[in-house]
Amino acid sequence: MEFKDYYKTLGVERDATADDIKKAFRKLARKYHPDVSKEPDAAARMAEVNEANTVLSDPEKRAAYDQLGRSAPHGAGQGFRPPPNWDAGFEFTGGPEGAQGMDSAQFSDFFEELFGRARHARHGGMGDGAHEGRTREQRGSDHHARIELDLQDAYHGAERTLSLRGARLDEQGHLVQEDRQLQVTIPKGVREGQLIRLAGQGSPGLGSAPAGDLFLEVQFKPDARWRAEGRDVYQSVPVAPWEGELGGPIHVTTPGGQTVEVTVPARWKSGRKLRLKERGIPAATPGDLYLELHVALPPATTEAQQRAWRDLARAYPSFNPRGTQGG
Amino acid sequence: MAAHKFLDNALAELIDEHARLTLEDLARSCCMAPGWVTERLEAGLLQGEHSGGRWVFTSTSVVRARRLARLESTFDADPQLAGLTTDLIEEVNALRQRLQRLETQLGAAAAQD
Repeated sequence: MEFKDYYKTLGVERDATADDIKKAFRKLARKYHPDVSKEPDAAARMAEVNEANTVLSDPEKRAAYDQLGRSAPHGAGQGFRPPPNWDAGFEFTGGPEGAQGMDSAQFSDFFEELFGRARHARHGGMGDGAHEGRTREQRGSDHHARIELDLQDAYHGAERTLSLRGARLDEQGHLVQEDRQLQVTIPKGVREGQLIRLAGQGSPGLGSAPAGDLFLEVQFKPDARWRAEGRDVYQSVPVAPWEGELGGPIHVTTPGGQTVEVTVPARWKSGRKLRLKERGIPAATPGDLYLELHVALPPATTEAQQRAWRDLARAYPSFNPRGTQGG
Repeated sequence: MAAHKFLDNALAELIDEHARLTLEDLARSCCMAPGWVTERLEAGLLQGEHSGGRWVFTSTSVVRARRLARLESTFDADPQLAGLTTDLIEEVNALRQRLQRLETQLGAAAAQD
């Protein structure tokens, strides 16, 4: 296990005041906020900053951590183990998050080894920061993650294997980190922004209390062919100039994998949409599929094709596509 | 610390379809007390549906509530200010998605030419 220098993480001196720590945390939180940060490792850095702040902003945890720091060789790196009873005499009353609104799910092994174990050993654990008091029965906290799916998965459902890092208590009541893979059957009908709940796949509960849940927030991978808005799906369909102008039947493969025949009305105007009722994302009330037709120009590569374009130009002596621009 | 690897199959349940989240579920999902959720509902910062004498929430509420809670906790933000910031973040995200879609479509059109 790696010893974590929380003071270094926040960029403050070891004698920093509570106000210094708060300022440093907020500055870094703004820098690595997952919604606005351009940093590639923003989420990981934000988790580190949160963890450091959770310890250093809590006087009890900070005092215990400082004592441990004095006994730990600086730069201990891998292989660090806290001495037995390192936290003797300290009373931790805060929850694992330390602050409301903060997840503990991403805390490191180092944090869990120190404060998770201490918490379980002393109090039988605490749930989230929202609940005060001590209890030996505590539901495990929920975990949240994002999952990226193809739009087709919403039509057919999908199987996904997720890599998760969790924790459990061993028979002696010690916290054991656990990496696991979870195979998930994604039901069909899922929409962008929707949550999928995997009951009991969050943090383990304490005592006989149930484990928390794992929530997966769904995002669709960008795809040039289609996009979803709620349950409605918009599909980009290229048509030949003669199909757009003269109209007629065309075959379209939908995101659901079916090939359907639709009739393009003659004199098609760009921006209009054809609606295929209930061909959107399936549900008790399915969405609709909107076909957005746009004209694709065929290339004139052979002599015959170039002649055909010249004949077309001759057939439209007064056609000026830039007429409205004064060209 | 031992690391165990195993594979199991979890039953996935779609929130919003048959399942809705209760006020307590929503509070737990953002590590806040139920009273915090009630206050934000009254202030119009969170939207819920009141049916059968209890509040139920959709997926969108969870994502928004977690964002509000993080902003308030991290920056000691006034709830209305956290709400304003959340509104702007949501709008930026929606515009980014739209831009990404348009760029993808433009890229595909260019590839056809």
